[in-house]
Amino acid sequence: MKKKCIAMLLAGGQGSRLYALTQNEAKPSVPFGGKYRIIDFPLSNCANSGIDTVGVLTQYRPRQLNSYIGNGQPWDLDSSDGGVFILPPYQSAGEKGSWFSGTANAIYQNIGFIESYDPENVLILSGDHIYKMDYAAMLREHLLKDAACTIAVLQVSMEEATRFGIMNVGEDGYVCEFEEKPKHPKSDLASMGIYIFNWAKLKAYLMADEQDPNSSKDFGKNIIPNMLAAGEKLWPYRFEGYWRDVGTITSLWDANMDMLSTTLINLYDPSWPIGARSPICPPHFTGDHAEIIHSIVTEGCEVDGHVENSVLSTAVTVEEGASVVYSVLMPGAVVKEGAVVEYAIVGENTVIESGAHVGAPPDGSDSWGVATCGPDIVIRGGAQVPAGAMIYTGEEV
Amino acid sequence: MRDYRGLIFAYNANPELRELVSVRTAASLPFCGRYRLIDLALSSMRNAGILDVGVIMQRDYQSLLDHIGSGKAWDMSRRSGGLRMLPPFGLPQYHTGEYNGTMEALNTVAEYVRSLPQEHIVLLLGNLCANIDLMEVIRQHARSGADITAVCADHTPAGRHHRFVVGPDGFVQKMLLYREGPGEGLASLEAYVVHKDQLLDLMDRCRAERLPMFHQDALPMFFAEGGRMDVYVHHGYAQIISTVEDYYTANMDMLRSENRRSIFPADRPVRAKAHEEVSSYYGEHAVSRRSLVADDCIIEGEIENCIVFPGVRIAQGAKIKSSILMRGCQIGEGVDLENVIADKHCSFSPGAKLMGSPKLPMVIPKNSQI
Repeated sequence: MKKKCIAMLLAGGQGSRLYALTQNEAKPSVPFGGKYRIIDFPLSNCANSGIDTVGVLTQYRPRQLNSYIGNGQPWDLDSSDGGVFILPPYQSAGEKGSWFSGTANAIYQNIGFIESYDPENVLILSGDHIYKMDYAAMLREHLLKDAACTIAVLQVSMEEATRFGIMNVGEDGYVCEFEEKPKHPKSDLASMGIYIFNWAKLKAYLMADEQDPNSSKDFGKNIIPNMLAAGEKLWPYRFEGYWRDVGTITSLWDANMDMLSTTLINLYDPSWPIGARSPICPPHFTGDHAEIIHSIVTEGCEVDGHVENSVLSTAVTVEEGASVVYSVLMPGAVVKEGAVVEYAIVGENTVIESGAHVGAPPDGSDSWGVATCGPDIVIRGGAQVPAGAMIYTGEEV
Repeated sequence: MRDYRGLIFAYNANPELRELVSVRTAASLPFCGRYRLIDLALSSMRNAGILDVGVIMQRDYQSLLDHIGSGKAWDMSRRSGGLRMLPPFGLPQYHTGEYNGTMEALNTVAEYVRSLPQEHIVLLLGNLCANIDLMEVIRQHARSGADITAVCADHTPAGRHHRFVVGPDGFVQKMLLYREGPGEGLASLEAYVVHKDQLLDLMDRCRAERLPMFHQDALPMFFAEGGRMDVYVHHGYAQIISTVEDYYTANMDMLRSENRRSIFPADRPVRAKAHEEVSSYYGEHAVSRRSLVADDCIIEGEIENCIVFPGVRIAQGAKIKSSILMRGCQIGEGVDLENVIADKHCSFSPGAKLMGSPKLPMVIPKNSQI
């Protein structure tokens, strides 16, 4: 079956900068924004853009991610001539088999999967970005510009540009230079890590790169520079809208706080639904003492305490007299009577017992940070978890 | 549970449910913020491992079909068996207009019942608000050796109901029809486990004599012949929803945690169709007390003792008390509602004030603009 475009979603990274949150699960399946897991965003974007075939490349602790994705039904990706496919590293006859050694290598190892759909183009996505994007519009521009590769770019400030892969654009509008985290950026167009490649071209570059022993087999470091050097047409697709990389504790917390503002990203827009696989829970209950201000609350929650500027995922409990401020509570978290959680991320099913205090407001010091408790932890009554602390599953606190 | 087949009666649209059933049957009444009443019956079946279930429908079943779909939410979308929707079929000379009772409804799908491979049938009302542990009912049915096991409440439900008085041998001695308030015996929740042959026999005889009712017509025949009926007592919340007041009260009852624990036990979850995947948002001035709020709501105003379904928008300055707001209701600034049941997609312009009473809540029909 010939497809115009299929998507390959890179979901194998550990997300080591999320520490305790990715101790036991891959970054794309980290809960986000109340109802979601991070991977819901690219998967929903695919479905909403009419891309019905998605390969998900997994490697690091894929169990939860695999069962979460399942047959793709929550995103309407359970189609009979496409669908969502989990693609782990594998062993071939007569070979020892190997892990994916880089983003490009992960795609290289799945050339067989891609070829089975005989696609004209392949969309490469990351599993750690929060955004709503119409890939169909990007594909139209890619075809219109007859590009070998189209790279989604976002305009950033010149200060921020030093932290991104930056595209320098020639007079004809095509990319003429790519610089990874330049000290002195010449442009403010940052790569979002979203690429559409002409498949025949990409395949040729992947095969060639695989032969290069010095290559790190990475799209940004190798494939894109090689294509530029060979004079291929690379087009920057300018994206305007909300986009965040949630690879660090601070950026994950920030992006969760952004969900409180529909002017940044409107999740209530029925024309671009973000799907999720979530258990069916009763509606959330607010008790006699509940105070909920500028916050999002999800089904299954029981709130009888004070909640302000916070994100409450499915089935969170906030008891009477507890206070949750500027915090993200992941599914099943419990904040008991009189406990305080502020400027914190609390992992799945973690219990903050009565009188415990997690996190602290910013004090202007450089050492301040969001306090993080991993999943399945009990923070004992009276315990103090300071700002910026990182509590791992299995730790006694 | 392969020996058991479920049959759910979803044709009832009691006129005392007024405007609420003008667009649907009682079984598809929206319940507790995100469910339909029939979710409880379907989930009870599912949680007992009964995946082969027939749903008997008659009129106005569009919303029921929309909601139930293939039965996937209850794992009843199966290669073999699974969910069967049963619209009226055959016997035009016997029934005209609405079904006059359970036996008439069963007889319209008699061929279906006859063809079932299972030995026992579990009968359940689509408008029963209870989470019954059917596994336990079936266990007791098998143990007692009764021909029929009736599920009864451990309390006196509101409204008229039938009662069973158990004799010294442990089986039902007499049946009291259409009682109200407390009294002798146990109130029937109109849920039964019955041997298929027994049921078919009663169906045949009721058809021959053109008798439509289960309790009034079929059960007296059964008892007259010495049929043995066992009673299983359901402990916990239970109410058959036949009137607007029943409907309103059952929803409000869910604001009490002990009732929620009974209807939504962790080990026997109530399954329902999945819907929009977005949390609800509370604004800077929102107040929410003693309320149940589904996902996908935006609340800027004040709610107290409310049941709020998905997609509801409540503007700042609105005060909603003891009301049920179904899917998609839009509440403008300064709107004041008390004891109101607003059906789906009603919109209330700024400043609107409406008040019912707890005994007589005001029902606002679907799509109304106030």
